[in-house]
Amino acid sequence: MFEVQEINAEHKDLIHDVAYDFYGQRMATCSSDQYVKVWDQNNDGKWSLSSSWKAHSGSVWKVTWAHPEFGQVLATCSFDRTAAVWEEIVGENPGPGERGTRYWVRRTNLVDSRTSVTDVKFGPKTQGLILATCSADGIIRIYEAPDVMNLSQWTLQHEVQCKPSCSCLSWNPSFSKIHPPMLAVGCDDTSAATGGKVFIYEFSENSRRWTKIETISSITEPVHDLAFSPNLGRSYHVLAIATKDVRILNLTPVNDNNSIQSGITKLDVQTAAQFEDHLSTVWRVCWNITGTILASSGDDGYVRMFKMNYINSWKSVAALKAGLPTPPISQTARYIKLGAISQPREVPWH
Amino acid sequence: MATFNVAQDGPVNALALNRDNTQIAIGGRNVFKVYSIEEDSFKEICNLRASKSNLNLSFSCNDVAWSSTDDHYLATAATNGHVCVWNLTKMGKAMQEQDYQEHKRTVNKVNFHASEPNKLISGSQDGTMRYFDIRCKNAVAIFYSNTESVRDVQFSPHIPHTFAAVSENGSVQIWDIRKSDKCQQQFTAHSGPVFACDWHPESPWLATASRDKTIKVWDLSNKPTLEYTIHTIASIGHIKWRPQRKYHIASCALVVDCSINIWDVRRPYIPFAQFNEHKDVASGVVWRGEPQVFLSSGRDCTLYQHSFSDATRPANKANPQGVSINNKGDVIYTYRISTNNISTKPTGLIRLKTISSLADPLAVSAKSSNTLSNDQFHQATSAMLLFQTMLYQDTNCFYALATNYMLSGRSFSEMCEHNAAVAKDFGKSNVCVIWRIIKTMYSEEFYEPTINHSYGEKYCFKMQGMNFPNDYSNDDQRSKVGENCVQKLNAGDDSGNLDTDIIDHVPAFCNFSSYNNFKFGLPKGDFSFGENELDIELDALSIDFRNSLQNSQHLGQQQQDWTLPNEAFNLRHEILDRSPPPENFSSHYSPDINDECQQPLSQFEDQVPNLVSISKPLEKVHWDPSNIVVDALKYHATMGDIQTAACVLTVLGERRKSLKTLDESTQEHWLLGYIELLNRYKLWNIATEIIKLSWLPSVSQLNQQSTRINTNCSQCAKPLQRIGWLCDRCHSSEYALCSICHQVVKGLYAWCQGCSHGGHLEHMQEWITKHKVCPTEFSTTITNNKILCSAKFTKFYNLNRF
Repeated sequence: MFEVQEINAEHKDLIHDVAYDFYGQRMATCSSDQYVKVWDQNNDGKWSLSSSWKAHSGSVWKVTWAHPEFGQVLATCSFDRTAAVWEEIVGENPGPGERGTRYWVRRTNLVDSRTSVTDVKFGPKTQGLILATCSADGIIRIYEAPDVMNLSQWTLQHEVQCKPSCSCLSWNPSFSKIHPPMLAVGCDDTSAATGGKVFIYEFSENSRRWTKIETISSITEPVHDLAFSPNLGRSYHVLAIATKDVRILNLTPVNDNNSIQSGITKLDVQTAAQFEDHLSTVWRVCWNITGTILASSGDDGYVRMFKMNYINSWKSVAALKAGLPTPPISQTARYIKLGAISQPREVPWH
Repeated sequence: MATFNVAQDGPVNALALNRDNTQIAIGGRNVFKVYSIEEDSFKEICNLRASKSNLNLSFSCNDVAWSSTDDHYLATAATNGHVCVWNLTKMGKAMQEQDYQEHKRTVNKVNFHASEPNKLISGSQDGTMRYFDIRCKNAVAIFYSNTESVRDVQFSPHIPHTFAAVSENGSVQIWDIRKSDKCQQQFTAHSGPVFACDWHPESPWLATASRDKTIKVWDLSNKPTLEYTIHTIASIGHIKWRPQRKYHIASCALVVDCSINIWDVRRPYIPFAQFNEHKDVASGVVWRGEPQVFLSSGRDCTLYQHSFSDATRPANKANPQGVSINNKGDVIYTYRISTNNISTKPTGLIRLKTISSLADPLAVSAKSSNTLSNDQFHQATSAMLLFQTMLYQDTNCFYALATNYMLSGRSFSEMCEHNAAVAKDFGKSNVCVIWRIIKTMYSEEFYEPTINHSYGEKYCFKMQGMNFPNDYSNDDQRSKVGENCVQKLNAGDDSGNLDTDIIDHVPAFCNFSSYNNFKFGLPKGDFSFGENELDIELDALSIDFRNSLQNSQHLGQQQQDWTLPNEAFNLRHEILDRSPPPENFSSHYSPDINDECQQPLSQFEDQVPNLVSISKPLEKVHWDPSNIVVDALKYHATMGDIQTAACVLTVLGERRKSLKTLDESTQEHWLLGYIELLNRYKLWNIATEIIKLSWLPSVSQLNQQSTRINTNCSQCAKPLQRIGWLCDRCHSSEYALCSICHQVVKGLYAWCQGCSHGGHLEHMQEWITKHKVCPTEFSTTITNNKILCSAKFTKFYNLNRF
């Protein structure tokens, strides 16, 4: 079960993203109020504001942590058409009896986009320190910091033209060497006529280029978020997509002769699950660290959780909701089981 | 109303509508035209720069204004400092009715008074404003701003005789047109140049726009107070309030941003609407007297009419929610607080009612979604909720298993048994079963024959009383036994060689009493140590018994009744000669194997009833469990239980070679996955253990990255490359002295992170158990050092210096 606790974020506008760090003990939020806030968990499990700073001159859409191996590093992207990399610094000359104050400095500002940068994600650690951004005009950019000790130097490695209005991207986090670097990109373009809204790109070692290897034609509704499941040992990839519903796709690399010759992976795409539980637009999908539980949130105000059972079929396992929106402070989460069941499709926690 | 445009010869700097919003005048360096606005196009009425030969700079417009009282009059501000008044009713040169050549520098702005005819004001780069009556040849009044340049002047629509002027030094001045000696009010509005201002059509507000990327709204009813600040992404060059929408204002950027943004001042971070038609920055915006249509000119040489229905709404695409799950399974959730209930209580109630009665709940979504009605746009607040999981089971389990699993240092069966017990203790019965099965399938008696196809030989020796020194680690030995056996046996069925070989590796434990507890004949999988029991036993029995389980089991079987059940004979039928009977066979065979084997073997049963001499391996009976094991491990990996997969692989040791269907890349994938997970839980020691135990070079090399520490000489700062305690340049090793015994430290050097004093590890350890401060005392002159030294030791580092 869950215990609910409200954290007063004191952002002055909508919070667009929240991200735990690698260890789950820090948290970053970003908002339209152009601020990024970092929260730390103390030993009692209480969260407190650690830093807060104006990061951009436009809405900050996404915030993401780099692997701690590279330091305490954040990347943000914004409506102001830039993406930025931030590093936490412990101040010199601490006062007597005090620890050095920590603050965040902007290490770089990536200004290549001519439109709003809608998502930013650090690549898997095995690739080094790399960053992918996508922008509203549909360009995916891959940056790399050749020297991981120097976060102020980033080179634009690749620029891939995708369809306009990219809204989200996700790296395939697989650790396997046989899986080449892979990105999934989603578009939130509203016209159904433009076809598939999710694209899978793969980096080909031979041509040193990113190539589109798959368009998920089954998804024609605007895509708001997508996330590859952490792949700790699966031979196939699992991609969760937030569109008008929650979609879970299995992407299995097919090793036939064609793909070996061309050096381009062919994917066998299967829809593993499709959940319409939210009955409304789904905004976010998020995996737990082992990739066994998927959480999604939608306009119905619920966080719903899905889990794969032992026969490989996905089931809804929980729906979380805060108390009524007014007053916003509530002591306990309302579970469907306890609260009023207003929708027949709601599944209680088991 | 439609969106349409017309292209021009050159960039357009400004535009102005006539009184009844039917005609538009545009001005630029090479452009000066009047269009009438049709249903879906612009129609050129008049081109005041028709003749190309006319390069008079007075025609190059910075700004254009249309008299709001008399439709015939236009005024332009020229880059050469001229202010011209044009009469559209006249023709040719006569059109230019006035040409005021009074400003010394570029004129930035001209503005007609909204109600009083003939009154015109101009603001110039020379820092002055001039008030003209267009019937007079000269300026009526001059206003000195005492600033470098005036960027915008605007008559107030509320207060007669009043105008506002903004300047490049960031100040705003309010002037009375009748008092040219001193401005009525002056205040600093921005930290950078103010490029534009606009009076609110109804409220006593003045909006100012600046290079500091903000638009500010000032309430001027009393003392100027800042009401709203809008943060934009670029310097703002032009602003215009939207008619009939109290809180909406349009802005164009001076650089970078080509779009025209409409802001709701109450939500100053994200544009309410955005128009992206221009390919270069827009230079001006005028509303056609109503909130749904406006015109804009751009540096991209176009004139546009925009319809509000064609706007993009950035806020609608903005993601209003965030979800993240951490290591423990806590879910953090941010979401937009629904404004439905806040705004109006009664409607909220009605809605609630409708929701519950609605057959199609999709209707709910429309209300709570991002596409809120306009009056809810500004009510954007988020709440953040933390759902702390009370189901720590999974996390704790992972943690406990990771820390308690035994991955090396004991015999295979022992480790399996231990791990099975651990898994069971923490409620992972399925994992426990896996360990048991693995143990059963791969423990010595069962496993080795699957490779060497020989079973009987090993057990033909009397092992009681033999004692062998076991001074190598168990894991290694086990694999050696296996390999040796394979080698020898593959070389041929030379039992003579084999005898000695196996004797070498199979010590006996006749006095190992605890193993007498075995229930003879039971399948070994059912045997289990208690956790503590195992430790005590092994501690007590010490190194000699590292081989314990393997051998003890052999022993146990030897002690049982040598009379074998009938099944055993059946199984050995194919083995025709040489080796004595495998006495313990029956106890290990799983029913499956028996069933499988019985069929083909039944024919021999009658022919050879006595089996004493059979030794040839029975090849068909060996069922290879590896495929099933691989499938099981893969299943666990797929289900996210990478811990089991990686640990089983590690414990299997050399046995994993029989898992032929499990390629190395998958093995590597699993190990890396598990290491990643361990790192997330900060179980670095265990991660390191996994890396150390790894058989894959790519994984085991992870430990060897970035392990070198370089030090510099503390006197001359030369890097110490050869040895860590002697500098090649200053030939001194003074800096390498121990702070306590003043001897050169060779080997482990421990030093304080704060003051970098240090010494022998033992000395430092001893010192800090008794003292809180650094042992080094400096002379009073080095005060800085002394402060550091008297500070507490912060953290110690060890360095091995050779």
